[in-house]
Amino acid sequence: MNAPPPAADALYEHAACGLVATDADGLILHANGTLHAWLGMEAGALAGKVRFCDLMSVGARLFHHTRCAPLLQLEGTVYEVQLDLLAADARRIPVLVNIVRRRDGDTAIDHWAVFRSSQRHAYEHALLDARKVAEEALEASRAADLQLQALNLQLTAADRRKDEFLATLSHELRNPLAPMRSALDVLRLKHGNIGDERLLQAFDRQLRHLTRLVDDLMDVSRITQNRMQLRRTPVDLAPLVRSAVQDMAATMAAARHTLRLAVQDTPLVVDGDATRLAQVVINLLANAAKYTPDGGRIDVELACEDGHAELRVRDNGIGIPADALGAVFNLFAQLEPALDRARGGLGIGLALARGIVDLHGGEILVDSAGPGLGSEFTLRLPLVAGCAAREETVAPAALAAPLRVLVVDDSLDTAETMALALELFGCETRMAHTATAALELAAEFAPHVALLDIGLPDYNGYELARRLRALPAGLDTTLIAATGWGQDKDRTLALDAGFDHHLTKPIDVEQLRLLLR
Amino acid sequence: MSVLIRNNVHVAGEGAATMVFAHGFGCDQTMWRFLTPAFQGRFRTIIYDLVGSGGSTLAAYDRTRYASLHAHAEDLLEIIDECATGPVIFVGHSVSAMIGMLATIAAPKRFAAQVMIGPSPCYINDGDYVGGFSRGDIRELLDTMDDNFIAWSQQLAPAIMGAPNRPDLREELTTSFCRNDPEIARHFAGVTFLSDHRDDVPKSTVPALILQCTDDLIAPRTVGEWLHRHLPSSSLALIENVGHCPHMSAPSASSRAIDVFLAQTLR
Repeated sequence: MNAPPPAADALYEHAACGLVATDADGLILHANGTLHAWLGMEAGALAGKVRFCDLMSVGARLFHHTRCAPLLQLEGTVYEVQLDLLAADARRIPVLVNIVRRRDGDTAIDHWAVFRSSQRHAYEHALLDARKVAEEALEASRAADLQLQALNLQLTAADRRKDEFLATLSHELRNPLAPMRSALDVLRLKHGNIGDERLLQAFDRQLRHLTRLVDDLMDVSRITQNRMQLRRTPVDLAPLVRSAVQDMAATMAAARHTLRLAVQDTPLVVDGDATRLAQVVINLLANAAKYTPDGGRIDVELACEDGHAELRVRDNGIGIPADALGAVFNLFAQLEPALDRARGGLGIGLALARGIVDLHGGEILVDSAGPGLGSEFTLRLPLVAGCAAREETVAPAALAAPLRVLVVDDSLDTAETMALALELFGCETRMAHTATAALELAAEFAPHVALLDIGLPDYNGYELARRLRALPAGLDTTLIAATGWGQDKDRTLALDAGFDHHLTKPIDVEQLRLLLR
Repeated sequence: MSVLIRNNVHVAGEGAATMVFAHGFGCDQTMWRFLTPAFQGRFRTIIYDLVGSGGSTLAAYDRTRYASLHAHAEDLLEIIDECATGPVIFVGHSVSAMIGMLATIAAPKRFAAQVMIGPSPCYINDGDYVGGFSRGDIRELLDTMDDNFIAWSQQLAPAIMGAPNRPDLREELTTSFCRNDPEIARHFAGVTFLSDHRDDVPKSTVPALILQCTDDLIAPRTVGEWLHRHLPSSSLALIENVGHCPHMSAPSASSRAIDVFLAQTLR
């Protein structure tokens, strides 16, 4: 039954793998027939003549000497090493090699088993290639990511520079408006009833328009730089909307628009900044007037909708294409910018409106059936339940008593026009253009009121205020700061420096007159 | 990070002078086990792993920093600052002989002597210079390393494969020798075999012993002779040995040659 075991010699000679014995220096002592056959060598061509390493490719030899030889010394075994052997005809034969070192007394003999591994080798190479491709793809994607990040940083920086530029621009534009406003006020007070009233009115309207544009620009840059602060109080929207409609009445009339106003009777109180909310409503109304051809119809409705005050402003104007609806609240977004500049504007109003509404925790939406089919804007603000509307107290306009007023401004025009305006109120005025001159003048003039610019050539208005206060009659003087910067922090700075009031340029003379009472 | 941990530094023996041993490419500090006993009775001995090899902190292997051998030379100087006492004798195998030479150029006063075992300042033939290899040969080595990705990372525990015939090592069978990260090893192979420090050789003035095997594929005799001609204060000793690691295969002959050199140099 049982076949006899094959002779050991035959088993060795014709094994299914190459079998080799070398001395510790790698010289081949025996090699079986299988290996000879694979390499295409005659029997006896290897033993005593060739080192096993000499059968390897150069790269494999390097690997063997740097890696396998130390391991053989240390561990006595090396397993599963992939090498290329070189056949007699220079063919490469990929093989897998195991080596075991055996000691016989002082001599070490290395036993090698060599397995052909062409298929496995090809497969592993395919795997390695795939791995390389994947790594390269990953690397490319990393590089693209880095590039995107760099671009993103650049964009952020550019956006920040734009915001800073807008803030500076609006502030710089505001400064020359101050003397213009004062000059116009003087002209109207002086020559109010003579024949060129229409010119003055046009001047006045355009100046107000310009001031509003600059203010909007300033406000929107405050919002983009997160610097806008709301002064919140309970605000009843009904009188606020009525008042805004009244303010816009002249504009509506000029365009022959019919405006219908429907306001719910009950108070609609929100926690908000009355000035800012009025600004939003006026922007919506101005927008409707602007984008509706003359003789249009504008409907304004204010009502309560599930805990929210809801203001709808609907017009039958030029409408908005569906694909542009998403962008109307973006800064500088304008329809048909290149074709039709006739309507003017910077594309700020709606962006500003949304910014303010966002700060109030409300929302503003737009809808339009399409071009030529009108637009509808909806403003929703959360109502404050159980909060009564603030009593509106209107300060009666009182005439100023004849007062001594010191006007300090390094701009001669600004100082001069302001002084002229004050004289028309019956004030006695003196002007100074530096802080030093102002201090000297005040000592002798003993003004009831000092109107101080902050940016002065020698030292600033805050310091001047402190020094004025130190004068003998200093505590009796009403100090008013006039600055181009209208933020809360500027107001606080002024009050901290001892000012009684803070006005933002351009100064509204009516507002000033109230302070002179 | 502590240099001692980063470079897996081991200090043994005591003596007035310190010998620092740095392994070559392809293995780690365990390759010194046959040589260091000859010196531990007389010297303080320091063995360590190059960053990226053996038990060093692999995370410290920054490919940009270790793109040249200078970073390894800086590491060596840090180890010496931290651990050495008295005069320092540096013993470097193969690529580490060059690392040591760069360190002696950077800080010649820190070294009393340097021993270079199988050194080569440049492996690639260049005009009259015979380094032993072409660029294609080195490329083939890198390919072979790719082929042996698995074998490189895991030297399988010999117990699985049959007991090795080395009872003297049996206690340490649980630990693997020269277990190296294949990715780092491949990078290090490129740095090692593509390096060319021939221009630096004349700048090293620390007395040097070049230990050259009579039959070494990696660093042929022509390279040892070239180095001896160009290294200012050098002597050349030949060790009857086939292969690249005389400190393992002929440790006695190696330590004798080093002792002769030290006796002459450290008088």
